[in-house]
Amino acid sequence: MDSRATKLVTVLALAAGLAGCATGPRQTVVGVAFETLQTEYWVASRNAIEAELKKQGAQMLEAIADGDANRQMEQVRNFIARRVDGIIVVPKDAQTVIPMIRDANAANIPIVLFNRPPAKSDAKSVSVVADNYSITKETVTYLAQQATKLPGKRKAAILMGDLADMNAISRRDGFEDALKPFSGRIEIVSRIPTEWNQEKALAGITNALQAHPDIDFIFTSSDLLLPSIVSALKNAGKYHKTGEPGHVWLAAFDGDATAYRMLKEGYLDADGVQDVGFDTAETVRAVLALKAGTTLPAIIVDKGFVITRDNMAQMAPRMWGANLSGK
Amino acid sequence: MIRFTSLARLALSEYFVLALTLVWLLAMLPFVPGLGTPENLKNIVSSALPLLILAVGQTIVMISGGIDLSVTAVIAWASITGGLTISADGGLLAGHALAPAAGVIAMLACGLFAGLLNGLAVAVFRIPAFLATLTSMTFFGGLAIWMTKSKNLHRLPEAFNAIGREMPLSALVTVLVAVLAWWLLRGSNAGRWFYALGANPRAALVSGVPVKAVTFAAYAASGLCAALASVLYTGRLETASPVMGQRVLLDVIGAVVIGGVSLTGGRGELHWTAFGVFFMTVIDNSLNLLGLSNFGILMAKGLVILAAALVDSWRNRYAAA
Repeated sequence: MDSRATKLVTVLALAAGLAGCATGPRQTVVGVAFETLQTEYWVASRNAIEAELKKQGAQMLEAIADGDANRQMEQVRNFIARRVDGIIVVPKDAQTVIPMIRDANAANIPIVLFNRPPAKSDAKSVSVVADNYSITKETVTYLAQQATKLPGKRKAAILMGDLADMNAISRRDGFEDALKPFSGRIEIVSRIPTEWNQEKALAGITNALQAHPDIDFIFTSSDLLLPSIVSALKNAGKYHKTGEPGHVWLAAFDGDATAYRMLKEGYLDADGVQDVGFDTAETVRAVLALKAGTTLPAIIVDKGFVITRDNMAQMAPRMWGANLSGK
Repeated sequence: MIRFTSLARLALSEYFVLALTLVWLLAMLPFVPGLGTPENLKNIVSSALPLLILAVGQTIVMISGGIDLSVTAVIAWASITGGLTISADGGLLAGHALAPAAGVIAMLACGLFAGLLNGLAVAVFRIPAFLATLTSMTFFGGLAIWMTKSKNLHRLPEAFNAIGREMPLSALVTVLVAVLAWWLLRGSNAGRWFYALGANPRAALVSGVPVKAVTFAAYAASGLCAALASVLYTGRLETASPVMGQRVLLDVIGAVVIGGVSLTGGRGELHWTAFGVFFMTVIDNSLNLLGLSNFGILMAKGLVILAAALVDSWRNRYAAA
């Protein structure tokens, strides 16, 4: 290397030293790592976390991994290198987040998982998650009660999420358990894997409707997949409002703006809602409390609620999707 | 005082991308807390290692006049094959003392197979490299998902995970790959064949270069590098995934091209690629730490890379003049 390059490296090293020596009080900084921002739910959550951190006088440092767990790991390590005061992660799945939690534990930086809990391990974190099982069970029970008011048997289908995601598993289990008491009246004829992917959901539900043209009861594990269902039902000539002949009983999970619009229009019968306001406020509270040395339970549960055509007027103000669509 | 002529000489030198990276680091230091800390510099190196292995393979292919788009699918296929070999969740050799080594060998075999298949398509069936590797990307990507019905595999042996998680080990693997690739390109007689093939395939053939064998070798090297990068990615996440590495293609090709390796073949050096990888990793890291919004980061990254490419194109014109 010539002398100019040597000078450049020397200046760089000096500047690095000076930057490292900077002292003085600083604002609380929280690193927020989302797996993706591809759905309304994640965008609404991200904005709510940012607003909540601002309210608490903290700065948000954000990173989006675009569905790449390795990139998310690098981003979390960047937060650790910057010595942030806390980390909030929406992990891609329950397992790949464990090395990230271990890294944060080793650096003594509190870490809170938003919406998706980790698999069991020795790594220490706090998770704020909706009670996916109970909300789904309540939603599907309501749908089954309405559907069995009519004579005859119902043929049911479920669109499942990525089964590496604990939330997808809980929602599937909630669906299965809710229908057990109705086993004489409702038969599950199709369980469609989607991996939270709209194209896979469309192909899956289209195939299911071809194999079982009498499907008249559908639950989707996420509102994200509603457009795929609508498209498949329209193609099959089965997209009708509640009360109209040929209506397919339809329920979903999340509480987004599409679900709210479909509820209002009469195409959707029920939606399990995650309380984004509660979840984001608790997540921020948890990360700041952990930083202050408070001990918290490993799981903070959002009980959520079910919005139906019957209670829509009462529950819509708490539904984040209704707020997004301006009610 | 650095004079204009000195700057121009630097801009035309092969160390330009390295200098640009150092200048960027220097310029960002006052604005990005923690950027210059030893912990973060270690972080940058750790992030760059698997990308560098991938880029080394891509460099060999591009010098020989091809391109390998299948690397992301090879990463995924190798990852899931390794998982099916060694995972305690039903892996073939779960619990066996030699499982970690067998896992690595199985993954490398995937890379070699995919590379040879690409070589066959390009060298023997004369399918354009872009199309051949695009097709194999689709095939191996689908195969990876089919093998576990898109499920991830966990509970991999600790000795295997350590290769990706422990930086000295990952660094050792990366250095070995780089040295081997350097020897192949610059230390062996065969190295000239890659450059000759990339510069002018017809002239290379007439001059007695074993064109088919060299093409096979280039794609095999790229496949092996993708599999080795997969070992690092899989180990550090402690998870074998059929969608592993799906998003790295742009970073790999971006790093190689920014480093100065010609897209049309015949020109390039491994240390240029290393500079390109360093540049991409530093940009990612510094923008991440800066606190920009995600959209801001994407736009800034795009602009910085565009600026680097423009300057590179300008200096190439002047260097040729």
